[in-house]
Amino acid sequence: MMGHVLSFGEGPGAAGGFVPRRRDWVRLDNASNIFLAARSHADPKVFRISAELDHDVDPRLLQGALDATYDHYRLYHAVLRRGVFWYYLQDSDLRPTVTADDQYTCAPIYRVDRRNLLFRVMHHDRRIILEVFHALSDGIGALSFLSDLITAYVRLRYPGERPVEEPGRSGEPTEFSPVGAGAGGPRSLVPDSFSHYFRRRRPGDEPRPVAGGEPNRENRLTRRRVHRVSGTRTPDGRPRLVELTMPVRQVLDLARAEGVSLTMYLTGLLFESVRASSAGSGRARTLAASVPVNLRQFFPSASPRNFFATVRVEHTYGEGADDLGSVCRQLDRQFRRKVTVESLDRKVRRFIRFERMPALRVVPRPLKDVILGMINRGSNRGLTVAVSNLGRVSLPEPAATHVGRMAFHVSAVRPQISVVSHAGLLTVSFTSPFVETGHVRAFARRLTAHAVDVTVAAARVTEAELAEVEPAEAQR
Amino acid sequence: MRRCAGCAVDVEGTWSRCPLCSGPMTGEAVPSPLPSVPLTFSRRRVLRALFLTSIAVIAASFGAQLLLHREVGDLGVARSVWLGVSTMWLVVLMAVRKRRNVAKGTVYLVTLVGLACVYWDYLTGWYGWSLTYAVPIVCACSIVALLITVRVMRIEVGDHILYSGLTVLLGLAPLGFLAFGWVTNPVPSAICGSLSLVTLVALQIVCGPEVRHELVKRLHL
Repeated sequence: MMGHVLSFGEGPGAAGGFVPRRRDWVRLDNASNIFLAARSHADPKVFRISAELDHDVDPRLLQGALDATYDHYRLYHAVLRRGVFWYYLQDSDLRPTVTADDQYTCAPIYRVDRRNLLFRVMHHDRRIILEVFHALSDGIGALSFLSDLITAYVRLRYPGERPVEEPGRSGEPTEFSPVGAGAGGPRSLVPDSFSHYFRRRRPGDEPRPVAGGEPNRENRLTRRRVHRVSGTRTPDGRPRLVELTMPVRQVLDLARAEGVSLTMYLTGLLFESVRASSAGSGRARTLAASVPVNLRQFFPSASPRNFFATVRVEHTYGEGADDLGSVCRQLDRQFRRKVTVESLDRKVRRFIRFERMPALRVVPRPLKDVILGMINRGSNRGLTVAVSNLGRVSLPEPAATHVGRMAFHVSAVRPQISVVSHAGLLTVSFTSPFVETGHVRAFARRLTAHAVDVTVAAARVTEAELAEVEPAEAQR
Repeated sequence: MRRCAGCAVDVEGTWSRCPLCSGPMTGEAVPSPLPSVPLTFSRRRVLRALFLTSIAVIAASFGAQLLLHREVGDLGVARSVWLGVSTMWLVVLMAVRKRRNVAKGTVYLVTLVGLACVYWDYLTGWYGWSLTYAVPIVCACSIVALLITVRVMRIEVGDHILYSGLTVLLGLAPLGFLAFGWVTNPVPSAICGSLSLVTLVALQIVCGPEVRHELVKRLHL
């Protein structure tokens, strides 16, 4: 579809010394357009994945590892540009530099008219940190980059240790290393799995799953008023971040005891916590969560670009059993019904049809941003929280033995939890645009009441909290 | 690690009170895995307010001129000073705003300066100096300036070619002024028009494929 980077020599008599060069480019995928329209100062649509090593990170080696990994990921070379009708990603010659973690988590990356890379790699004490603008990639895509980065770093740091298998790739397909390949190589700028699977079927592709009866819009008509959390915004718009670390086994046992998946158990627990922390009369009794689902599990793809859909689950209190187990089971039933190949196929096709509508396509981009922004605000009104679970990460050896817990943060327009587990440790990161931590307290206390060992790490956000740290730092 | 008895959790970092319940804590502090980042305040909102206020004041200045009809009173020099200050303000504003893309900024400047001159000429009794001298000279100079700038700054073809093309197309406008007989002296328009034609042909020959590539990319539906 698109040519590779072409370089021509300077032609004879070239006016003004032009060096004609055509850069590879690719239009944004379906999910990314909404991120650009929906981003704001408080929610710049950035996420962070970090991995804690067993020693302080050596920035020089990390830079070496980054240089090597970066060369393999064409997508990460891209800068975002604005066309008349759509945004597009364009190849660049920029090189990333490792920096200290001197900004708050998920600080803005994309700035209009500044052609910078859409990710950054940082280090802080024992952590290697990758932050990505969501229009570039999703959590699973970024995880594959981080996994290769850590592998390269560990290889430089411990040159004596031999990789167990093919370096950089864990051979066994797990839920995080998707099987099969999308169009093109996994690391090129081109493949967009949305258009590969949902735009049109080519001969030889598997037949379109049978659409089972009525379109899936049960909530569309009967949607109730949903409780939305409000609070005091943080002074400079940074997210309020609290990380809870706990043994994954203990929480899995709790989820299994209720007969639900870990994600739905945590969602139910979050509903309870939000409800407990926002006392007050007259509030809406329905709580709803948006849960992103990795489409690679259902539509095999190795694309590092965005390839996910969000599923909405809700619970209305005061209409039947409201104990944690019943709420979780009810959420789990909803979730299982919505997360099937047929249902996801239908959902994504609806978005693609909307995106491909001729009337929308000819609308200039600034106006499209306004329209998509309004749609996004509309759907935000129906959501209380968001729950994003990256699942259990399996790093290749020997990297895995040097990495302890991992953490996943997402910039948030509403209270959100982002979950990831590694080395037997589950990290639940709360991000919120508000300074209040009542729901985190309720969440943690509920877990500790069930004999889960919880460790808390919180980022300082308010002026008072930051003032407290200065004398302590001076003492050190 | 410190411990909050109320929440029954261990807390990393040097918190003196529990970050969840503000309750007292016991035990030795360990370093936090999250750095303490000082508060940052961006000037974005201030700059935006300044920009919008400036645009409003400039638009009001230009609009107010229409109310002061040319026969009314001896506005004379005061009018030109007023217009001069407004135009200068507008030019500086646009140059600062578009500083990251010189070629794009040039298109903005040529258009704004051209329109301001024509308006100025109209307000002061339409002697035709704007179409005869100001517009052709601004167009021709910007074409030359752009050709030099993209070379000196080594701007990539793809990044400037469409805006350079637009500037050159704007440079063809004085040929229209000539054809309709709107000018009192044909020389500046003729020079600007022929310079634009030559540059246009040269761009087509040297960078034709790049122009098409950029157009396909930016007008992609």
